Amino acid sequence: MSEPQPLSAGHVLEYTYKRSVGPVLGRFFTSLRDGKIEGVKTRAGRVLVPPMEHDPETGEATSDDWVEVGPGGTVTTWAWVAEPRDQHPLDRPFAFALVRLDGADTAMLHAVDAGSESAMRTGMRVRARFADAPTGGIKDLACFTPEDAE
Amino acid sequence: MAERCAVVGVGQTKHDARRIDVSQVGLVREAAERALENAELGWQDIDAVVIGKAPDLFEGVMMPELFLADALGGAGKPMLRVHTAGSVGGSTAVVAASLVQAGVHQRVLTVAYEKQSESNAMWALSIKIPFSQTIVAGAGGYFAPLIRGYMRRSGAPEDTGIRVAVKDRLNALKNPYAHLKFPDVDFDQVANSPMLWDPIRFLETCPSSDGACALVLAAEDAVGASPGKPAWVHATSMRSEPTMFSGRDQVNPQAGKDAAADLYKKAGITNPREEIDCAEIYVPFSWFEPMWMENLGFAPEGEGWKMTYEGATALDGDLPVNMSGGVLSSNPIGASGMLRFAEAALQVRGEAGEHQVDGARRALGHAYGGGSQYFSMWIVGEARP
Repeated sequence: MSEPQPLSAGHVLEYTYKRSVGPVLGRFFTSLRDGKIEGVKTRAGRVLVPPMEHDPETGEATSDDWVEVGPGGTVTTWAWVAEPRDQHPLDRPFAFALVRLDGADTAMLHAVDAGSESAMRTGMRVRARFADAPTGGIKDLACFTPEDAE
Repeated sequence: MAERCAVVGVGQTKHDARRIDVSQVGLVREAAERALENAELGWQDIDAVVIGKAPDLFEGVMMPELFLADALGGAGKPMLRVHTAGSVGGSTAVVAASLVQAGVHQRVLTVAYEKQSESNAMWALSIKIPFSQTIVAGAGGYFAPLIRGYMRRSGAPEDTGIRVAVKDRLNALKNPYAHLKFPDVDFDQVANSPMLWDPIRFLETCPSSDGACALVLAAEDAVGASPGKPAWVHATSMRSEPTMFSGRDQVNPQAGKDAAADLYKKAGITNPREEIDCAEIYVPFSWFEPMWMENLGFAPEGEGWKMTYEGATALDGDLPVNMSGGVLSSNPIGASGMLRFAEAALQVRGEAGEHQVDGARRALGHAYGGGSQYFSMWIVGEARP
């Protein structure tokens, strides 16, 4: 009698979900389309970028006080991506980085197009580069580039 | 001896087919902020957060408790997620109450939600996993044969379900938060609506809703800080059984009967029909009202339909059922169970507005889920237990 073979079959699970971004991220994305990066103030006065509906530390609703930030900012930490994949924001080696935009109190995750890993360091200055054809999403902020390279 | 626990804040969203005006964060916060406001408390007053929702596939957010932790003021606080399919809103409230009853926390915020417009529950329930049976037709197709089984066993008149639907839809007209409202609803309109899964007609079916519900639960020492009348938790119970096993009675499941018996014992109730003033129960398809009346011991087996027929379950009957309009009128799945528990609390607090049952002092909230296999329920009352 032969050994029983374990059953095996492919299983593709796929669905296109929808997302409602709500009024706060809705305004953020709308501003990005116009080439502006906006943050929102918490009631304690901290500027959150990207903006949130609530202060993540307290749960309190954020204020209606919006401020334009950047386009310059500072890298607070980063990781080099030597071999980008199809879904990555850039098709050449880049850094994923947390960037604290000028005027913001929080850092935002985005890509830095620095050319090489040796050009990256924590504390470096970067500048936002906007997409040529905005669509009203996070990709309207194409990436950040080192300030001293411009 | 467990600590006493009471509901001191109740909040819910406006339920609708598509709440595209809010994010998932905004949806849960709408309910939570209303519950806090109702309790006259702030986020800083909350010791722990317990969140519940139905399967993650429903919105495609894995571990939404992490995604929503800081949106619910959970930073630096204990946060638990509960998951028991459609009964989850009830189970979540039961878990939250247990944290107070065990003396672990003074004040717990509990929230349940679903944003069905971001996905398709029918798709999520119909996944064909290799070598496994698939439900394919979603909830209606699963439950229709159970209803046929009930009709055969009880000999209930064919129009019982229509009568339930008319009652619940009329009750919904009194509830400002209800999703579906049919101002002209009557017997003929329900009877003439399309047959979806025989014997379930379109108007005997729950909708797909976006919505959330939140409760603030407090220990006895903390109750006084909230000025509203507390709804004291007299008893809670949960039971579950496997979806399929030999000899399983899916029409009148043992788990539901056991949970009800446990609940009444804990609450000191010997005659539920007499001693409970109103009940808000999980009826996603009209016929589940008579079925659960029997499962919950309000009627002898085979006679639940008589309560519907005689008007006992109407808003002015001797045991009003689904005063809010029920799941038939609003169904944000994950929140649906908690909405039942919340309605029970609103009734004994005297805060149910136009659908208030006069003199409601003790109320039952009930939820079920899966293939009629998860049950959660509680009894809340005006009197401190």
